[in-house]
Amino acid sequence: MRADATAGRGIVTSVRIALIALALAACSAPVRQAAPWNEITGEKLLALRLQGDAARGARAYEVCQGCHRRGATGSTSGTYPRLAGQHATVLIEQMADIRSGRRGNDKMLPFADEHVLSPQDIADIAAYVSALPVPPALGVGPGTRLAQGEALYRRDCVACHGERGQGDGPKFHPMIAGQHYRYLLREVGLIRSGERGNANPDMVRVIRPYTDDELEAVSDYVSRMTR
Amino acid sequence: MIDKPLVRRGAAAPARRRSRVAAWAALALLAALPATRAGGEAPVEPRVRELVEKVCAGCHGIDGNSTVPAFPKLAGRHPEYIAFELREFRSGRRRSDVMAPVVAALDPADFPALGAYFGARKPLPGKVADPAAAEAGRTLYADGNEASGVPACAGCHEEDASGGKRFPRLAGQHREYLVDQMEKFRSGARGGPAASPMRAIARRMTDAEVRAVSEYLSGL
Repeated sequence: MRADATAGRGIVTSVRIALIALALAACSAPVRQAAPWNEITGEKLLALRLQGDAARGARAYEVCQGCHRRGATGSTSGTYPRLAGQHATVLIEQMADIRSGRRGNDKMLPFADEHVLSPQDIADIAAYVSALPVPPALGVGPGTRLAQGEALYRRDCVACHGERGQGDGPKFHPMIAGQHYRYLLREVGLIRSGERGNANPDMVRVIRPYTDDELEAVSDYVSRMTR
Repeated sequence: MIDKPLVRRGAAAPARRRSRVAAWAALALLAALPATRAGGEAPVEPRVRELVEKVCAGCHGIDGNSTVPAFPKLAGRHPEYIAFELREFRSGRRRSDVMAPVVAALDPADFPALGAYFGARKPLPGKVADPAAAEAGRTLYADGNEASGVPACAGCHEEDASGGKRFPRLAGQHREYLVDQMEKFRSGARGGPAASPMRAIARRMTDAEVRAVSEYLSGL
């Protein structure tokens, strides 16, 4: 119990540090942001503070598996992302943002609204899904521009998403290794165009000049990374 | 590939029909002996049995296997789900001109016992009338429709459609009842906050998809 509470405080402390870092970054950036990216308030804060229970999460995940499938493997078509092994913080952030409308997702909202999932359910699902084994990469790209993809990744992505695409939980940087190619391609497109409402502004800046070919190359490279 | 199960189903039909006749005969025999008809199941309190006989059995059948398509089969549904729906009817969150007066006359304290009673009844298998539609329904049930955002039904209702506490058993349900409920979800007539996923799903499904998956389920 004590250990749990400490772990919970640990996350909140990390979140605070991340927020302070972001605030500092925002101050030094030439363009001042109106609101900080990923503001930790409301039920996002609530769910992050709650102790997730993987066994309860396995049951609550029922409403997710019609699309994200058993084992949270997602779909190679890219319609539904793989969630297995994703950082709990990232899962909570995304669920909360979809519920609040910061990340527009009409497809998912009816299955994740406040009448279906409580903040505790969100914490439980995150605990369950983040502990699931990451299956080998399935949905990959054509494999024709992997060297270009790797060069782009090393230049622009590695600082946040890590050497192995593992991301960083406390900083809310998602694990992207082994994500389905078609899902990556769809989301980088939405981030580049500004349609993904909760995108990290740093990432929007980085990939705005990307051509379609470059988005394909880096998505293909990432889909083949093993964490 | 698609023909295969149909051929197999056709070949097995006479044997299945014989065993079904035998099952019905056995059931009729059991029904004639009210004291022992529950077989190895837990004994039913006389008060609960009386309530079932007087209030529920007329439509849902004494064994929960309603024979009238307008009334759902309750046999084998999770007791907690049955009690939940009774509360939904009672509060008016789930509207039904048929159920409202019935449930209003019940004591909510009896809901769990009624749930336990029908949950313990043995569900009788249904029969497919349109094998081609059932085959299409089986695929939709297992995989959903990604293009239109229809999740796999199996995600919540379980792979064998046996359901659980939160999501009802669908296996063997009357196809007409299933189609009717999907229409009610689609129009919003079956409302309540708990119905938000089903309302979205019903609105994303075509009429043909609703018919197909209902056909598949009615045959389980």
